[in-house]
Amino acid sequence: MSGWPSLQLTHFQAFLLFAVVISVAFGFLGRRRPKDRIKYILWSLFLFLVVGIGIGWAMFPFSR
Amino acid sequence: MDEQANLTAAGGNAPLGVPEANSEQGMSRETRAWIFGIAGWIVPGLGHALQRMWGRALVVFLTVGVLAGAGASMKGNVFTRDGSDAFDTLGYAADLGTGSFYMMAKSMEPEGSDVSHAGGDYGTRLLATAGVLNLLAALHAFEAARGRKA
Repeated sequence: MSGWPSLQLTHFQAFLLFAVVISVAFGFLGRRRPKDRIKYILWSLFLFLVVGIGIGWAMFPFSR
Repeated sequence: MDEQANLTAAGGNAPLGVPEANSEQGMSRETRAWIFGIAGWIVPGLGHALQRMWGRALVVFLTVGVLAGAGASMKGNVFTRDGSDAFDTLGYAADLGTGSFYMMAKSMEPEGSDVSHAGGDYGTRLLATAGVLNLLAALHAFEAARGRKA
């Protein structure tokens, strides 16, 4: 099957894909009620983004 | 159907916390838990589906599928057992966690991986993440079947 399309994502898009998918999975596995799941997903996604971007900026001075 | 209610009704199990030597099929809760756990590993989400946790089953199937599919489409490295070092072996163990999706990922890369670019490297991480996430989900299905709070 060589017909599969090649996916080209930027760094941020790959990071965002990872954060969204993992947050949704954690929300559904970790919480039972829909309201709790939504809150957990949003909070988890927020932390992923803040920590990921924060680490990115923290490494910036050492990037070159 | 509410998944919380399903925990008590899954496969005719007794309510949570109530010891149950045998289910209606004559199979011990421990045996069922192992079956659900292994089923969840081989087919992502199946361990939850067998316990009628439809929402979790669907989400596990989709998230593992999206991660594995995206990783393979980005030409990430799908490790094989012929790894040359410990990292390859660890990568193989993580990739195997995707169960049947491992073969799908392999079939999506007939020309092999390309990790010379950042995209391929990200793909490798997404594939490993899919495997570890599926192992976590299978463990969750296993614990739920044992009657643990899940």
